[in-house]
Amino acid sequence: MSMPKGFKARKGYATVTEIPGGMDYRSIAEKMTESGDKMNHATARNIFLKAMMKIAAPIHELYQLDNCEGSIMTTAKDPEFQSGVIDIMDELSVSNIV
Amino acid sequence: MSNVLESFFQQVGKTDLLTRDQEIELSKLIESGDKRARDRMIRANLRLAISIAKQYQNKGCDMEDLIQESSIGLIKAIDRFDWRRGFKFSTYACWWIKQSVRRHIASHSASFKLPAYAKNMMFKIQQVINEYEEEFGERPTQAEIAEALGVSHDMINAMVDCAMPTVSIEKTVSMGSDGGSKTLKDVLPDESEEIDDVLDRQKIISVMRQALSTLTPREERIVRLRFGISEPDDDHENYPITQEEYDSLVTSKESAQ
Repeated sequence: MSMPKGFKARKGYATVTEIPGGMDYRSIAEKMTESGDKMNHATARNIFLKAMMKIAAPIHELYQLDNCEGSIMTTAKDPEFQSGVIDIMDELSVSNIV
Repeated sequence: MSNVLESFFQQVGKTDLLTRDQEIELSKLIESGDKRARDRMIRANLRLAISIAKQYQNKGCDMEDLIQESSIGLIKAIDRFDWRRGFKFSTYACWWIKQSVRRHIASHSASFKLPAYAKNMMFKIQQVINEYEEEFGERPTQAEIAEALGVSHDMINAMVDCAMPTVSIEKTVSMGSDGGSKTLKDVLPDESEEIDDVLDRQKIISVMRQALSTLTPREERIVRLRFGISEPDDDHENYPITQEEYDSLVTSKESAQ
């Protein structure tokens, strides 16, 4: 019996293949390690997802969505959400972000 | 046709046409300054003005405007008509009415002014089309017109676009089931973004800007790398040089020593 269709089947994985100039977690880890912040690909992924959750949380609040960590993590991993974040980060003056 | 225009046509139709003798008699009275005679002459010849205006409909102007212009031409003709020459008034008035209508169409049929060379080119294109149709019984292609005139295909394309009549967005296109008429603006889809979507987007951007400002430099850098968003060149504190750059610096320093 085949597996039930879920989130991954509906939305796919968030990959960098379609982001021009985007890096995979291993390359990010290498780059960070080169510049003195030693980390492996899993850490890079964790930090990235934590950042995405920080962005997703106020959006959940704005639209009165479920505010539990699992639900926010689902949004953080959503490729459509990440694509929206890229669009908005591009729109915003990048130097103003931090 | 609008109700106003319809009732105007009915009114005009009630006025009797003038005989040759009546035309002369009225012209004499007009010469002596009789305003009622002038008015009667105008009303009796409005049918002629309308029939000429109708010949120019579908040229990009409203029928009401064409009738107004043809009436102005008719009045000019009445004021200048010389009954002593022996012509029928309609023969003389035709020229003035047509001139008035044509001038109006030339200046109002397009919403933009075309330079003289473009008008000339459009005239030449029309000439080629007429001659071709007469000779071969079919319309020439744009490539054939371009070849005949010795101009580029793009130029013909541009001229064809310029020759397109402009249509008012208030133009009535159909009658609704409830008896009300629908204009082009009622049926054309609005492809611009909905105001709700714009407001939503602004709200999201504001929330995200705040959220992005809470990221640590480390998180921000990883997000940037993941999304391929370039790092600021001048922020050396958060974005120190890479190992490769460090190595090349060390090498150049060593070689200098």
